[in-house]
Amino acid sequence: MPDVTITVDGRSFSVPAGTNVVDAARMGGIAIPVFCYHPRMPAVGMCRMCLVQVGMPKLDPATRQPLMDAQGQPVIALMPKLQTGCTTPVSEGMVINTKTEEVQFAQKGVLEFLLTSHPLDCPVCDKGGECPLQNLTMEWGPGQSRFDYNDKVHFEKPVPLGDLILLDRERCILCSRCVRFQDELADDSVLGFDHRGRNWMIVSKSDPPFASKFSGNTTDICPVGALTTADFRFKARVWELSSKPGICTLCPVGCNLNFDMRHDRLMRVMPRENGAVNDIWLCDKGRFGHRFIEHESRLHAPLIRHGDHFVEASWEEALTLVAEKLAAVQSARGGSAIAGLAAPRLSNEDLYLFQRLFREQLGSNNLDHHLGSPDDGDHDDLGGLLAVGKGTNLMELGAGTTVLVFGADPEEEAPLYLLRLRALVQRGAQLFVANQRATKLERSATQALRYSVGGELALARALVRELLERGAAERIKLKHSGLDALRKQVLAQTPEQLAAAAGIAHEQIVALATALLEAEHGLIMYGAEARSAGLALIETLGALAVLSGNVGKPNSGMIALLPGGNSRGALDLGVRPDARPGYVLMPQRGLPAQQLWSAARDGHVRALWIAGLDPAACLPDAREALTAAEFVVVQELFMSETARMADVVLPAASVAERDGTYTNAERRVQRSRAARAPHGQSRPDWQIFQDVAQMLADMMVLPHPRVEAEGAKPAKAAKGAKTAKGQNEQVVTRPPEPPRWDYLTPDEVAAEIAERVPSYGGVTYEALAATGNPGVWGRQANEAVFYDGTSYENTEGIGIALPSLISTGRFTLSLSPRPAPVVKDERPLLLLAQPLAYGGDPLLRGSLLERQLAQPAIVISQSDAEKLNIQNGDRVRIVSAVGELSAAARVHADLPPGLVMVPAGLPGLCLSRIQTGPRTRVSLVKVVV
Amino acid sequence: MFGELVKGLRTTLKYMFRQPVTVQYPEVKRPVRERFRGRHELKRFADGSERCIGCSLCAAACPADAILVIPAENEPDNPRSPGERYAATYEINMLRCIFCGYCEDACPTNAIVLEHQYELSFYDRRASIFTKEMLLVPEDQGHGEPPPVLKQIERRPSPPAQIDL
Ligand code: SF4
Ligand code: SF4
Ligand code: SF4
Ligand code: SF4
Ligand code: FES
Repeated sequence: MPDVTITVDGRSFSVPAGTNVVDAARMGGIAIPVFCYHPRMPAVGMCRMCLVQVGMPKLDPATRQPLMDAQGQPVIALMPKLQTGCTTPVSEGMVINTKTEEVQFAQKGVLEFLLTSHPLDCPVCDKGGECPLQNLTMEWGPGQSRFDYNDKVHFEKPVPLGDLILLDRERCILCSRCVRFQDELADDSVLGFDHRGRNWMIVSKSDPPFASKFSGNTTDICPVGALTTADFRFKARVWELSSKPGICTLCPVGCNLNFDMRHDRLMRVMPRENGAVNDIWLCDKGRFGHRFIEHESRLHAPLIRHGDHFVEASWEEALTLVAEKLAAVQSARGGSAIAGLAAPRLSNEDLYLFQRLFREQLGSNNLDHHLGSPDDGDHDDLGGLLAVGKGTNLMELGAGTTVLVFGADPEEEAPLYLLRLRALVQRGAQLFVANQRATKLERSATQALRYSVGGELALARALVRELLERGAAERIKLKHSGLDALRKQVLAQTPEQLAAAAGIAHEQIVALATALLEAEHGLIMYGAEARSAGLALIETLGALAVLSGNVGKPNSGMIALLPGGNSRGALDLGVRPDARPGYVLMPQRGLPAQQLWSAARDGHVRALWIAGLDPAACLPDAREALTAAEFVVVQELFMSETARMADVVLPAASVAERDGTYTNAERRVQRSRAARAPHGQSRPDWQIFQDVAQMLADMMVLPHPRVEAEGAKPAKAAKGAKTAKGQNEQVVTRPPEPPRWDYLTPDEVAAEIAERVPSYGGVTYEALAATGNPGVWGRQANEAVFYDGTSYENTEGIGIALPSLISTGRFTLSLSPRPAPVVKDERPLLLLAQPLAYGGDPLLRGSLLERQLAQPAIVISQSDAEKLNIQNGDRVRIVSAVGELSAAARVHADLPPGLVMVPAGLPGLCLSRIQTGPRTRVSLVKVVV
Repeated sequence: MFGELVKGLRTTLKYMFRQPVTVQYPEVKRPVRERFRGRHELKRFADGSERCIGCSLCAAACPADAILVIPAENEPDNPRSPGERYAATYEINMLRCIFCGYCEDACPTNAIVLEHQYELSFYDRRASIFTKEMLLVPEDQGHGEPPPVLKQIERRPSPPAQIDL
């Protein structure tokens, strides 16, 4: 936009045209007080706090040129009344006065009037100390009120708006920020105004009240203490808190947050601004779901099994026992009799050392970060290979961007992406949501494509076909292979056949293909439902990204929503049976988690090390395997089902108790810092791995167990040799493995990763501390005064985006298609494990969200319900080839027939008992009692 | 020489019949001035409720960081103090305190007052931390009415915060 020059309080400077007066003055370092205006939302002009005097240059009616006075200065015509700065856009030559007597009179008047109905209970208000009303009153308000203090209206308080948020009616200044946030940004229209006059109040319109995954953000942007969280209620005063920068590991977004601590206790969690990740928001899971850190059931000392009970032991004893047992199994049966699983929420340092411990010290490749349940699916390499390019910043995207969300439910899988994608749409991006059922994101889509049940692959192929027909293949600049096979496959069917199989009109497919092709930036996001369709679909989506030219550059590529906060880190750093860090394929594969349980049951695997996962909770196979195994080490925060079956339980430090880096879905590596001392005697995971490795190194006289001379094959090449030639020299010149285990801090582990894992080059703690551009929010120009309590400035580093693997040139993309997975089951319905934000995540324990956990239910479509004469609440049973499961039925009007949806991960409803693979076919029966 | 002796004895005799300036502490305790700043007391209202609302302003004002307040929410049926909030923990470390009285100045409800007790000595450091139980005056020694803003009774009931659907 062109710049215009304005004069504020006598200072002239230029700002982009179209900026409003408040923001424009802020750019020049002049603060205009606001209450209702918020830079993330359109202005409404409700509070009148931002009144300023505005003047325009007077124009000569004849020439339309500005009139000049005797000194050659333009004559300014002041507007007769004060204007609200937040709703007035700037124009060339505008003169704005913010400090004249008239303006000050108005500002004092507005504040005095607001305070007449304000209870002034700052001493007991949780907002006190970071309250814009306090700040603005101190800076712009009258020192005294002419109103009688005892005339105030008082209401009963607090009024709960749902479980999480409390409303104090007396304090509300009716600025509607909360209502607008819910309506415009979160797309949960659950708040509104009710009554009138002095009784005007905020109410919740939904049932259950305030049903939104983003409700906590309203307490940040509320400019007074009218909305406060039940989580932080009367816990501390804000000035007593010290903010420790952390990363949320509860989902793959990796939001930046602050753990606000008083002494050693977690008081609350607040967002930390990062324009490229979470902007200034946090979802409720991240904000309220970190109470597990201080939960009283945390493990505090190592435990060793004696018969059928555990006895507390010292670290020395426990670690020696672990090392001895592992060494014994190793020497008796070799490394392949040992297996390890690490949770995808552990930090990169942990994961890297875990695989080093297994590969180098134990000589085992039986590593994974999956649970080993039937629906694990394949490792998602494509999301790394074709990841969004370095320099991606969702904040910068708008018009010219096309986003395709395929088979994902971002609200549940990665809540914050919902806010980010909606903001993208509001800035002019095109959003296409392809799914087989209704999701919340669909409401914000430019176009929603509901493919028929099982029709996703046909849709993806139809899109690829369309692009190929338009000659997209000629434009591919990447190293690739298999294009002809792909062409042959998709051209085998006519567009009409494919469209019919997908259940989507051909025109819609063409429109989406066009949008992807013409987009300056294209993003493809896929989630659990897409992954459950298997690699055939994911690779077709990858082909789609490549053919539309949306890979290997900033702001374009694929974003995979994987479970856990650091699945991408686990894949990048080789916690998988088939590849070493950096997707370097190994000739000798270990056992993936899925084959682990049967191998352990049959005695091929004798010792297991499980860090942070709880397979025993829901997998009967895993229970059997754990019973059969000779030695089981479990490293956990809590006494999980798996831990109960262990021989040694090691207490691990939580994310807030140690330093570490995490890689999010966009492959941005971010650092989280220790906020408190580890609980009890618990230790950071990396340290435990290192301690055991040290002991093993002393104990074992191993022939170096590592398998040398592997080709540096990209993991993607699993389907055949697609390695770039010339890679092997690089492997040979690799520095020798560091023999020692003497890291003092995770910093040193990160430095080693940076040195040895190609795509992590340069990702050291020093580099991660860079804050770069302070962000759009920043804290310039007295922002703290009126946006106080909203979010924290990010002084601790905004992370480093890794380049997508394909752009490094080390990998070749294979486009040759896989056959669609064949399911031979004849059962009529497709079972869908519905990923839920408030599912059975054990980390939600102790938080207020526990009350909102999903209830076990079998969700069926209206038409299936009618067919089988099932009512809401009836007990129903689903039967698959391997088992059956019963729960109360919930009839969902917007679910397509042929689909049964069951919340995933609920402890009371073990889906894995009936699953036959990522996709399970089931039949449904009503249980007659 | 004799003259000097008489002179000296005269002074002795003169002071012998005067009121002594020292007192027989600890048998006799010296009264202090009205505004003397000694050991703190946490006061109560006349109705026996605690004046302290757990706002931590005293702790914020304290230059010696001697005060720890951990607030909590009043049970509506059995409130400790008027209003929503009270101090669940209130501690002053008397070894840190410099008896400046800033806490008293900062307190919005006149709950913390530096009183006249000055005998503060301890055998160990832990004993220098005075807890809420030690600081709080007995229930029958309250004074004054809670200000209306802290009283729940004069509040109009709110209509429900959720619209019936
Ligand atoms: S509750 Fe807060 S954000 Fe909502 S209208 Fe009232 S003052 Fe504004
Ligand atoms: S969106 Fe994900 S990463 Fe962000 S706060 Fe929520 S759970 Fe945490
Ligand atoms: S008297 Fe002064 S030093 Fe002592 S507790 Fe009060 S504010 Fe702190
Ligand atoms: S003593 Fe006074 S200042 Fe201190 S917490 Fe209690 S009410 Fe607040
Ligand atoms: S009217 Fe402009 S900020 Fe409220």
